[in-house]
Amino acid sequence: MGLMLDIVIVASLIGLSFQSLYARSLFRCILHFVVFGLAMSLVWARLNTPDLAMAEAAIGAGVTGALTMVAFRRLMAISPAQNQSRPSNRSRLALPIALGAGGLVALLGLAVLEAEPVAGLAGMAVMEALPSTGLQNPVTAVLLSFRGYDTLLEISVLLAALLASQAVTQLDDPDPSILTEQPDTPLVGALLAMIVPLSVLVSVHLLKAGSLGTGGAFQAGAVMAGCGVILALSGRLTSSAQPSLLINLGLSIGILSFIGIGLVPLLYGQPLLALPDVWAVYLLESTMMISIALILLLLFTGSISIRRSDG
Amino acid sequence: MDSATLYVLAAAVLFGLGLDGLIVCEHLMRKLFALNIMGSAIFILLVATSAPINDKPDPVPQALVLTGIVVAVSATAFGLALIVRLCRESGKATLSVDDEPENDD
Repeated sequence: MGLMLDIVIVASLIGLSFQSLYARSLFRCILHFVVFGLAMSLVWARLNTPDLAMAEAAIGAGVTGALTMVAFRRLMAISPAQNQSRPSNRSRLALPIALGAGGLVALLGLAVLEAEPVAGLAGMAVMEALPSTGLQNPVTAVLLSFRGYDTLLEISVLLAALLASQAVTQLDDPDPSILTEQPDTPLVGALLAMIVPLSVLVSVHLLKAGSLGTGGAFQAGAVMAGCGVILALSGRLTSSAQPSLLINLGLSIGILSFIGIGLVPLLYGQPLLALPDVWAVYLLESTMMISIALILLLLFTGSISIRRSDG
Repeated sequence: MDSATLYVLAAAVLFGLGLDGLIVCEHLMRKLFALNIMGSAIFILLVATSAPINDKPDPVPQALVLTGIVVAVSATAFGLALIVRLCRESGKATLSVDDEPENDD
């Protein structure tokens, strides 16, 4: 029964990935790619890794979907003909190269599956040291207590991606492509009144749940960014070319508090990024959630800053 | 066949498919999807081949993949911004050998 389910998921994964590369119109590619992300989150659920399932659904499928669709709309505004672009680089080498690379991946994976698990894996050390961190979710413990350096770099990469995107995006024109056509019908207000509080609630819950079970700052930030995307789509938030101190603080508070709390242990002769207690984890996750949500939202709007619309 | 083997084989197929798409597809957005699919294949491989600890999945590859997902999204967002800018400058979202200043063909 379980294996049948796996076979169905894998078959749909392969079908969706094929369609997201070779579908006739680009828009169909995008839709298939978003559903591919959802199928990936099913894969994580089947592999018994709920943290990854949540992250993939929120970040992989949700945020990537929003980003690709708004990019598609911007591309369409420039030249509508490219929606029908066919994959046309006929290459005789492509198939053998792809088959060879796929074969290598299969060989590597099957060899690892055959190998005896070695003693003294990092994962075992994590499980043994988990009670000392005060956290119950080993993934959160790895991300913040044991490998905080990686997470610090991860949020830096996110911020760097935002800055680089802003540098290549032309900012002088207010972007009409993120606005839906009729943002002021009565149903939109009713929908927002339900969705916005709910998504804030869900993201705060995900944040708090991260120390006990499934959840964490990145999932929570992605849900909150989704809430911001809805507000931007319905015209409640508009992109602005004026840098705002508050927004800039929000963008950088995650990395700043990470560096701040990470440096303090040096004063007491402890290693860098040795978090003092569970409260530090909560503080870091909260500030990172704010930064992640804002960074993802600004990646979506493609602007320097956002503000409440006057209307 | 157990499900770990199945997912390893799926990762291999996805990686091959993604690489094929990366070479064959002309539109840059499709190429970006191809890169993402290749990345997802590697993520599946990492998690599916990790040995469970006390019947629970190893947290270290999970944390690695979680970081990987976020970095993949960052790179995708930057790639999309580059594609939009390229399209604004040149009117098309493809790169071809004809655009090179020196064409050897």
